[in-house]
Amino acid sequence: MARRSNAEHAYVVAYDISDPKRWRRVFKTMKGYGRWLQLSVFHCRLDGGRRAEMASALEDLIDRDADHVIILDLGPAEDVEFAVESLGKSFQPIERRAVVI
Amino acid sequence: MSSSDTRSDPPAGSAPGQDALGQNLSDQGAAAPARPAARQGELALFAPPAAADEMLAPARMINEWVYCPRLAVLEWGRGEWAGNADTAAGRRAHKATETGAAPALPEPDALPDDRALKTRRLLLASERLGLTAELDVIEADDGRVVPVDIKTGKRPHVAEGAYLPERVQVCVQALLLREAGYTCEEAALWFADSRERVRVELTDELIATALGAASDLRLTVAAGRLPPPLDHSQKCVRCSLLPICLPDEVNWFRKGAIARTPPPAATPALPLYVQTPGARVTKKDFTLVVQVEGEADRAVALDEVSELVLAGPVSLTTPAVHELLRRDVPVAWMSSGFWYLGSTGGQGPRSATVRTAQYALAADEPRRLAFARELVAAKIRNSRTILRRNWRGEDGERGPLLDRLALLADRTARAETAAALLGLEGEAAALYFRALPKLFTDAVAALPAFAFERRNRRPPADPVNACLSLIYAVLTRTFSSAISVAGLDPWKGVYHAERPGRPALALDLIEPFRPVLADSAVLMALNNGELAPDDFVSAAGGCNLKPKARRALIAAYERRLDQETTHPAFGYQVSMRRLIQIQARLFARFVCGEIPRYPHYVPR
Ligand code: SF4
Repeated sequence: MARRSNAEHAYVVAYDISDPKRWRRVFKTMKGYGRWLQLSVFHCRLDGGRRAEMASALEDLIDRDADHVIILDLGPAEDVEFAVESLGKSFQPIERRAVVI
Repeated sequence: MSSSDTRSDPPAGSAPGQDALGQNLSDQGAAAPARPAARQGELALFAPPAAADEMLAPARMINEWVYCPRLAVLEWGRGEWAGNADTAAGRRAHKATETGAAPALPEPDALPDDRALKTRRLLLASERLGLTAELDVIEADDGRVVPVDIKTGKRPHVAEGAYLPERVQVCVQALLLREAGYTCEEAALWFADSRERVRVELTDELIATALGAASDLRLTVAAGRLPPPLDHSQKCVRCSLLPICLPDEVNWFRKGAIARTPPPAATPALPLYVQTPGARVTKKDFTLVVQVEGEADRAVALDEVSELVLAGPVSLTTPAVHELLRRDVPVAWMSSGFWYLGSTGGQGPRSATVRTAQYALAADEPRRLAFARELVAAKIRNSRTILRRNWRGEDGERGPLLDRLALLADRTARAETAAALLGLEGEAAALYFRALPKLFTDAVAALPAFAFERRNRRPPADPVNACLSLIYAVLTRTFSSAISVAGLDPWKGVYHAERPGRPALALDLIEPFRPVLADSAVLMALNNGELAPDDFVSAAGGCNLKPKARRALIAAYERRLDQETTHPAFGYQVSMRRLIQIQARLFARFVCGEIPRYPHYVPR
């Protein structure tokens, strides 16, 4: 069940999609919500509204019988460092900063 | 389908909230049927049938009117809309039910009486009732029809089976079906989360409430009235229009009570600045991609962009413009020197009510002068605060200077004309800028390049002036966007006279923010050593920042916007970024006469 608050949480979204075309579409969609972390795994920082929108977008794309998407809530975005242990490469929490290019 | 479907849900799983909500709703339920009698003695005074060009009130809005009259008028009468987690969840639940065939509903006399029939998404309207509705599901059986409205959430545990706003909404649907000639004896609500159906009895009382609410809503909107906000209601906490409506802040003027919590930021999106000459911004899937020659492409999720700021020769593709327009994200166009040229999109509410009131204010000399006095006083007080907080010069000089500024701020209250105010403002600015180098660290003060004598512009003659000019331009843009989103016209000012190319209202409202936001961001960047003398180029009597330095300074300004501050009037903590949005909304409330004065941001 979606969270009701508008505070931002960090999420890990992992998916297993049986069809390459659908996999591609899920991958593209997820780029609108987070950072690509590993094959079929994204790291996101979302408020309640975007969390619901993401789930709804994914629901539309997948085949409920053949595919599986799992959305793991890592808790409030500011505290996520404590929730993750990363071996090998480092895991960077997503910071919210204006982008100036 | 829309916000309203979920907004009136009871707070999920929170017992106190549920109680408060149920309480509020039953209060309204008891009051509404009695309303015509109380007002007229005998006859209900209903709004007349809708005239040709008048809008019909949607059943959804009747629901909202019963939930909170102000909500319905803001959305329906003023074209305001905002989403939150609940509205997103509502859309999601609705989408899940939108599958399956939608056979047309037969005419009333052709309804099969031997079998049940379901149809979906039917639009009904009646000019006589002045109402319209979009029906989720209609069931037909045995010559009768039953409208079924789909709601997110669980069925609330109240005697009537559902809260009044939802029952009224589906009652309106039933009335429209009756008006179209169908036999409709009951209605129903379907709660998607608990998968429960609730039967809604079409009692005379419910019908009277629905018609009374419809009539009140139409009369209120026709009269241009905005009902007052609810007072400390649990409903506001769930309401997606909270950041626009500002119930606590508006009530503060009436009762002086401290606001509970700041309205939440509408979204966590932030501005995206592109100022590298030759950069190209395109849309790819759900992201904006910025291409700069010799650099890796940068993708930014569209949802995370609150505003796209393009300075200088940067290009933006049409598909990207279309997508930004669809999302109501403004594009601010600026010259390479960050002169604000204008915006595309992000025009705020689909209504001119606020702008009309703004022009009336600008034409009202006494009101205009009263506002200008407080504005100049706030600016002088804030420059005094910056000197007081960051002083690094001789102790003996500080006191007299602060006293002098305090005196000038006090004298604004007696200024008779705008010209007199300009004089006071100029005198204070001269004192303030002369003292500005006293706020530099020793390291910065020792650099001849960062010597600062007085404020100059067009073109700025030295690095510090160049930094100030740049940040003032960026600040003007921040306000221009916030002002437009609040339904105001940035080009029409109250204190600043309008001149072509000058966003006068933005210049008005930024005055108190220049010292505390812009100057302090420049001080931060200089004193932290984020800018060095070779970050600047001088040419033809003017001084300019190199692109990398510009990026660093804008980033410092944006960081400053993310810092928290205490609102001096309302006492809560908000980021400067959110504060600016609140101030723009408050100014709109002030302009419309809803609050007696505009509470300037004057931190201690
Ligand atoms: S915030 Fe409260 S007062 Fe304002 S529209 Fe929403 S429910 Fe009504």
